[in-house]
Amino acid sequence: MPCVRSTIFLADRVTCVRACLWLAVLALIGAPLAAVVSIGLGGNHIQELLDSGIASAATNSVVSAGVSAVAAVAIATVMALVLDRTDLPGRSVLRLILLSPLLIPPFVGAIAWTGLLGPSGMINSWWNETFGGGPLWNIYGGDGVIFLLTIHSYPLAYLIVSAALRRVPGDLEQAARIAGAAPFRAMRDVTLPLLRPALLASLTLTTVSNLADFGIPALIGLPERYVTLSTMVYRYIQSGTVARPLEVVSTIGIGLLALAVVAVTVDRIVGRRSVQLDGAVTAPQVLSLGHSRIPAGIVAWLIGLALTVLPILALATQALLPAPGVPLTWSNLTLQSIESAVTAPGTLVGIQNSVMLALGAAFVCGFLGLAIGVVTTRTRSRDNVGLDLAAMLPQAIPGLVIAVGWLIIGRYTGLFDTRWVILCAYVMAFLAIVVQAVRAPLISTPTALEEVARSSGASHLRSLWDVPWKMAIPAAITGAVLVALTAVRELTMSVLLVAPGTQTLGVSIFNLQQAGDYNAASALSLLVALVGFAGLGLVASTRVGRP
Amino acid sequence: MSAITIDQLGLRYPDGSIGVAGIDLDVADGEFVALVGPSGSGKTTLLRTVAGFLTPTAGSIAIGPDVVANEQLSTPPESRRLGMVFQQHALWPHRSVGRNVSYPLELAKVAKTERAKKVADVLELVGLPGLEKRDPSTLSGGQRQRVALARALVSSPRALLLDEALSALDEPLRDRLRLELRALTQAANLTVVHVTHDRTEALALADRVVVLDGGSVAQIGTPEDVVRAPASAFVARFLSDATLVDGTVAGGIFTSGPLTLEATGSGPGTLAILPTDIEIVADGGVSGTVTSSLFGRDAADVVVRSGEVDFRCSVRGPRPQVGDAVELRVLRSFFFPR
Repeated sequence: MPCVRSTIFLADRVTCVRACLWLAVLALIGAPLAAVVSIGLGGNHIQELLDSGIASAATNSVVSAGVSAVAAVAIATVMALVLDRTDLPGRSVLRLILLSPLLIPPFVGAIAWTGLLGPSGMINSWWNETFGGGPLWNIYGGDGVIFLLTIHSYPLAYLIVSAALRRVPGDLEQAARIAGAAPFRAMRDVTLPLLRPALLASLTLTTVSNLADFGIPALIGLPERYVTLSTMVYRYIQSGTVARPLEVVSTIGIGLLALAVVAVTVDRIVGRRSVQLDGAVTAPQVLSLGHSRIPAGIVAWLIGLALTVLPILALATQALLPAPGVPLTWSNLTLQSIESAVTAPGTLVGIQNSVMLALGAAFVCGFLGLAIGVVTTRTRSRDNVGLDLAAMLPQAIPGLVIAVGWLIIGRYTGLFDTRWVILCAYVMAFLAIVVQAVRAPLISTPTALEEVARSSGASHLRSLWDVPWKMAIPAAITGAVLVALTAVRELTMSVLLVAPGTQTLGVSIFNLQQAGDYNAASALSLLVALVGFAGLGLVASTRVGRP
Repeated sequence: MSAITIDQLGLRYPDGSIGVAGIDLDVADGEFVALVGPSGSGKTTLLRTVAGFLTPTAGSIAIGPDVVANEQLSTPPESRRLGMVFQQHALWPHRSVGRNVSYPLELAKVAKTERAKKVADVLELVGLPGLEKRDPSTLSGGQRQRVALARALVSSPRALLLDEALSALDEPLRDRLRLELRALTQAANLTVVHVTHDRTEALALADRVVVLDGGSVAQIGTPEDVVRAPASAFVARFLSDATLVDGTVAGGIFTSGPLTLEATGSGPGTLAILPTDIEIVADGGVSGTVTSSLFGRDAADVVVRSGEVDFRCSVRGPRPQVGDAVELRVLRSFFFPR
């Protein structure tokens, strides 16, 4: 019976694809993690680490990541409720402005804010001249690290909370209003409890990503000897002060992994208890702020501008001055720093590498992520959950651990000191972005669409290719663009993986800042920030006309 | 329970489009009024204005003796003391059935023991005794809608607003809940405003039916009135699928192209013929061809094409087949001059 045989054969082709995806995921995600764990467990370096202050570094990491995540989620919740549910004047523009820290890499933000709130920064000098008594607030140190981590993580938390808020049907709150609850009471009794899973998810995500951040603690914490795990790992790898640096940092990596596993487990457990919401049938009621509308608007706008425009201004001033400390007058302004920074051979190599790596990572992640998304959502198999979890896992792993994993793999495979090892780390870290982007449209598509293709004569693989794969391509492209934008300014992983000739843009800026060439570092940072804003403009302009 | 008085109510949206205009409606204490109309006719807008979610731009609304909305003021929904049931039941998924129902009492600061008793009573009333501890997600669609009704009734509101409250339910269940709702509202003497796009439901439930079209009232009357004596061609078409023919009446004869029928009135206008007012006869009527013939419980729903006009007829007895040549006799018609 040829009919039956061909069915078996075709089913096998989908299984082949699935096996290939598993292989890719195991090689790209499983191998580095296994390397970290096996090397880390290979030698006992705990005493060595304790002697060099691992305890205080771990405390600093957990405290700075935890406090900044709580603050970021609190800000995000207020933002979501105020910007998405009230009639605050100019709220849609303000939303874009407040989201802009998302487009500025954390280390660029750190460079910008030191120009404002460093001991001789613009705000502090102004304060000292006007009121005397020294600087207003020195950003260097633990409090500054927490402040900057908060600034750079609230936009992501806002995106998660605001998406969840949109899924809460408006009639739930209206039912509370009719029952006799005033607007804010209805928000507190109905909307906030329903947002709880999203709040927890955003808290986990921001904690994990803040735990891994390297740029902010390195630039803001280290000058005041505020050491975190990420700066400690960097020191071990760079300075060669210990005999077996990879074993030592792998031990730290295992600790961070354990923290990530705890965070994800808590998130999953609480997430399972979350309630099922029907689709939003009724649009939510816009809440009138009444008399406080204008004052609230002014306050919100001032905060928004202070958080976004001030640092950019600081960057611009530093970029346009020939040397630090030169007074800001029209005659002193020069494009020299920008020119020399951009034309320096090191920078050129950095830009070239970053662009190539970002495009490469975007391409690989786009392709692989779409394939994983299609297979895990559109076929029935017991290992779908596993494949999906494996692909999403790196999202919960600090970038530091990923970098250490690839350092080890690099040593054993000869990829060490090449661009390939950086590309692999990028793909591992950012694959989840694409998987997540394609999953939403794929899940909401009825299976009837493929069934129609099958009944029209397409094989199983062909129906998957013709229908869900092609339908999800726009989402995959969006995800890939996000990957490229994230990768092009990556620092945490790159700084551990670069070698002479393979440095990336982020590393170039970081090295300039570390070397004390603040004007060149600011000039490059300004360019990175402006490219980010251009990206925002692009996104915003394509959104115009959409409801 | 209280009466609802709506006077010259108008609502214009900020973008200039009209939600409702010039609505006059008095809902008597204990009366069940159904708002019905095609989508975009303003029925939901009118209900949400009464509820307080929309602020009218003209006219006034009074509930009992209190004016709740006019040009100067608009009482917020939480102060109107109304009960409302939404299309998707809108039960709070993070609260148990009992805590969903008791919420209005919590806000009214009713003591805990009294609250428990009232919740038990109202759950009994809607036919779900003892379900306080249940999670709303474990209930069936019909049970959820009953819980939503209990929540709307628990604090003895001045009136009950139903926004497509039965529309999300499946047919046999919807039918049963319709019966129960009618019995319950009659027994408790509730003032009810019920919005529905289902004309059968509106006619079945309501003491009076308000037919809306383009934001204005097309007709208000008892179900018998609006069906037997439609006030406009639109009402006849919307409620009864009447056949509408444009033409002229002169000397008791309506003429439209080759078609002539007896009719009262004069001048140009629209003739509306209800499906039940057309008979299929052996000969001597308007001749035509059957283009569609659907089985119906009481009478077949038959479309007969005659010239340019498709006559919708309700045929009792043997069902004609598609393609049959038949003769029609119009027993009664309504003429609406232009």
